[in-house]
Amino acid sequence: MKFGIGNVRLPNVKPPSMLRDRSMPKLLVMIGLGWLSLFFIIPVIVLLFESFNFGDGALLDNYRQALSGTYVRTLGRTLAYAFVTTVVCLILGYWISYYIAFKAEHKTLMLAFVLLPLWIAIIIRYFGVSLFFLPTGPVQQLFGTDFGILFSTTGTIIGLTSALLPFATLPIYNALQSIDEEYIHASQVLGATPLKTLRTVIFPLSLSGIIAGALFVYILAAGSFLAPAILGGPGDFMMANIIEQSFSYSIPLAAALSVVFTVALLILIGIFNHYANISEVLSDL
Amino acid sequence: MSRLSGRLAFFPAILLVYAILLIPIVIVIATSFTVQSAPTLPTDGVSLEWYAELFQNQRLLDAMVVSTIVASATAVVAGIIGTITAFGFVRSEFKMKETLATIMLLPLMISPVITGVAFLRFGGYLQIPRGYPQIILAHSILALPFVFLIVRSRLLTFDERLEDASMIMGANRLETTFNVTIPVIAPAMIAGMLIAFVISFGEFTATQFLVTPSTTTVPIIIFNQIQTGLSPEISALATTLVVIMVIVSILGDWIGS
Repeated sequence: MKFGIGNVRLPNVKPPSMLRDRSMPKLLVMIGLGWLSLFFIIPVIVLLFESFNFGDGALLDNYRQALSGTYVRTLGRTLAYAFVTTVVCLILGYWISYYIAFKAEHKTLMLAFVLLPLWIAIIIRYFGVSLFFLPTGPVQQLFGTDFGILFSTTGTIIGLTSALLPFATLPIYNALQSIDEEYIHASQVLGATPLKTLRTVIFPLSLSGIIAGALFVYILAAGSFLAPAILGGPGDFMMANIIEQSFSYSIPLAAALSVVFTVALLILIGIFNHYANISEVLSDL
Repeated sequence: MSRLSGRLAFFPAILLVYAILLIPIVIVIATSFTVQSAPTLPTDGVSLEWYAELFQNQRLLDAMVVSTIVASATAVVAGIIGTITAFGFVRSEFKMKETLATIMLLPLMISPVITGVAFLRFGGYLQIPRGYPQIILAHSILALPFVFLIVRSRLLTFDERLEDASMIMGANRLETTFNVTIPVIAPAMIAGMLIAFVISFGEFTATQFLVTPSTTTVPIIIFNQIQTGLSPEISALATTLVVIMVIVSILGDWIGS
């Protein structure tokens, strides 16, 4: 390599070997992907094989069962609960993020309290929600009723919202925070009402945060085992609970249910990806 | 719209968000100090009897030791692998880099129930010993995406030219590694390890398939106790867990900054 500035020749500096050696980082990437493949991707593929029936009967027997009445209803319920949780988390997350980003005086402190629960095991937070509504908890002590919330669909959704709200708030806040205030100012100077500024300037510019938040909350909510197990009733079981339950008596069925659930989620994510480029959103994290 | 009414519009959100996020944690901590035999709010006195009970329960103490061993080992394994991978991704350009980075996040997207079931079956085929080896390996997978994301975002701010500068100034490769590269990577890696510790320490869903009677972790005990009957002892145990996790997270913040 020769450097030249006008007619002044610089000495021919040979870069040290580490800088020339560009294969080392690729090797490191391969170690990570190798670990992930060996202990995650291959086990999942093994599970995929176990979902097929190689013995007597049809190859797809387990799928016939996994796609029958109760299980399909559970799948529908799972996707619906995740959807409701996502909508609630996005509304609350946007509301509070907007306040913290544009109005709050103690931004760091308010944000810290949104993120604090992420450090505390999810099972403890669900336990806290159940304590709140139990006969010994403040709601029943005060009102004499839990308003039918505990061990119900509402209880499950409240639990999921409590657990996943930080995952919606963080990306939305980051998106709002990175909006150039000049745009907002320009919109106001040109006479837009605060609501119009929100609708035509702020909201479109924060869309990437909303997409990332929605994706996180939806995936984590759909895969939840603990929320229905601790806060839901018998009719609130989601896919994770059904998979765990069926695993104890039929591993092939549990495997087929896992495959059906994952494929359903992947299809939904694929549709979502059609409208919003997910890996672009994820690479912004 | 006046400034005050503009703020009032946010009051319900502030109240609701912090209530839904923080009440569950506060109530677990509060009920651990009750004098009653049920997990009630300590309105008629405060006692530490449930903590005394906790520290006499050998099963719980054993679980605490198991959880600490598992989480520490997970922190080391996931911390090292995650840092190595993040470093590789930041430092190289190759085809399908974004896709492969998304693949690193797969354990986040697949329900931990499926991860647990798949790992139990796979571990059986490969004859990975039950107990610690299986739990730690599975936890290392669950923690890997978080370590990867955190370390990668920190390394992205590291100017590679610092190394070039060091070597042009005459330091050799080893000196550069020790004096420039490691001091930059180490805090990122430690932050990643602490995340891995916290995730492992609180993991229940995949772990429930992998535990054995002698390697039962604390979240498993908490879940079983919730199912079988409520005692303020669960609150005391959960509060102890909260304290450990908060200490670890503060430590992580402090080292990371």
